[in-house]
Amino acid sequence: MSRALSAELFKLRTTRTSWAVVLGSIGLVVLISVLAATTGSFSVTDDAGRDLLEIAGLVQLFALVLGILAIATEFRHGTITPSLLAVPDRTRLVLAKLICALIAGALLGLAAAALCAVIALPILSARDAGAGSDSTTIINLILGNTAACALFAALGVGLGALIRNQVGAIIGALGYLFVVEPLLGVIPGFDDVVQKWFPGGASNEAAGTSGLDDPLGQIPGGLVLAAYAAFFLVAGIVVIRRRDVSA
Amino acid sequence: MPAIDVSGVTKRFGSTLAVDDLSFTVDRGHITAFLGPNGAGKTTTLRILLGLVNATGGTATIDGKPYGALEDPVGTVGAVLDGGMFHPGRSGRNHLRGVARAAGVSDARVDELLELVALAHAADRRAGGYSLGMRQRLGLATALLGDPEVLVLDEPANGLDPQGIRWLRDFLRTLAGEGRAVLVSSHVLAEVAQTADEVVVIAHGKSVAQAPLAELTARSGGGMRVAGPDAARLGDQLRAGGADVHVDGERAILVRGRSGEEIGRVIAAGGIVISELAPAGSSLEEIFFELTGAEGGPS
Repeated sequence: MSRALSAELFKLRTTRTSWAVVLGSIGLVVLISVLAATTGSFSVTDDAGRDLLEIAGLVQLFALVLGILAIATEFRHGTITPSLLAVPDRTRLVLAKLICALIAGALLGLAAAALCAVIALPILSARDAGAGSDSTTIINLILGNTAACALFAALGVGLGALIRNQVGAIIGALGYLFVVEPLLGVIPGFDDVVQKWFPGGASNEAAGTSGLDDPLGQIPGGLVLAAYAAFFLVAGIVVIRRRDVSA
Repeated sequence: MPAIDVSGVTKRFGSTLAVDDLSFTVDRGHITAFLGPNGAGKTTTLRILLGLVNATGGTATIDGKPYGALEDPVGTVGAVLDGGMFHPGRSGRNHLRGVARAAGVSDARVDELLELVALAHAADRRAGGYSLGMRQRLGLATALLGDPEVLVLDEPANGLDPQGIRWLRDFLRTLAGEGRAVLVSSHVLAEVAQTADEVVVIAHGKSVAQAPLAELTARSGGGMRVAGPDAARLGDQLRAGGADVHVDGERAILVRGRSGEEIGRVIAAGGIVISELAPAGSSLEEIFFELTGAEGGPS
């Protein structure tokens, strides 16, 4: 397993796409948090620190994309063939990709949230706006974003194994998170369920950025998201083991 | 035990029977050509052998084991398959290093192979910019990473220029000479005629022949065709000398077991008049069409 993992980590860091996703998303978070911290108007009662750290949650989508790419790219370019020739056990290959995605996702989430805190909080205090959040809250938000990104990346690996088509998997996943789930979330009486138990809602819970008055909490939210990731991974492994790899 | 043993392999895609009860073996130290027209089921068979496609029935083993059960697959079998096997954005060197890590092969071996396949100068360029020939050579380097005893190559000469084909032929010869088993698929007869020891011919997913190349060529006749007014008299003289002579039409004969020069000496000595002396047809091609039932049109 360590060989397969080392190969996956190597493959991840030797394409421009991975770096574009990671650096692009972190750059975006830094840009938005600087703009928000310098131009936003905060009253004393606002939880300004929390609001700014929510911006880091943007990288969760990119973590999901990173997970999808880890496996769908192999099918797109036919590199799945040499990968399977070197690691014929498909379960082992997917598990190596899973561990790789968990590591990459966690690092991405941690880097984005930590940078956001390091940049935005000093700007706030320079403006005498105050963070409005204690350091425990800030640390929980950073850890929450780290966990949510790692789990989203893991879910992406399962989704990629299940769907194989890179563009289809990414459009499907983002379409669900941006369109389907928000639409379900406005159904009266159903909104609470969606925002707690559906994947997008669960990731907000895990990250500690749920807008609900009675949130599930970060750890239960993380467990819900982990359950989704596990479901897609198991389904993806079952499907990929049966597939004929013919290109 | 043969290096590769394909036994009763069947593969059905929906209602299409792509491979139909196919059996053949490949021995060490030989180059075995896997020959058949496009769509005959060659690629599917090779992918089944490598554990990439699941067979509907039958077994395909390497050293007696299915591919998935090999302890060190990269060190046992090297494969070059058709189609893009590289990420276009990754350099050739990094492609090899990725596979090397999964197989527990050192980076030094990667550099060694880049030299061997003459890609060292382009190793750090993105593989997407490689020519077809360079891609084939990178594929070959990938196959050789683990210094395997068995090589499986799907249409390796595709897209190579004559120089590249010659290089490949010599290269495969050397590998077989070292005692490795080489299975190479092709739809190009000329390529096989000069490379292979053994030929497996398939058509419509079925094996139609497995024989040493020489035997297959002999079966098709070959020999020298001599035509002219005195052909019959020449035939008598050659027959008297122990040659195998067949009458081929009214004023021509087909001679086996004699070279053109030997026949020429008999002609000169006997003062015989002829109008034509030539090797008889492109025999391997004829037997290929005969065996596979392929027509001359595009397939």
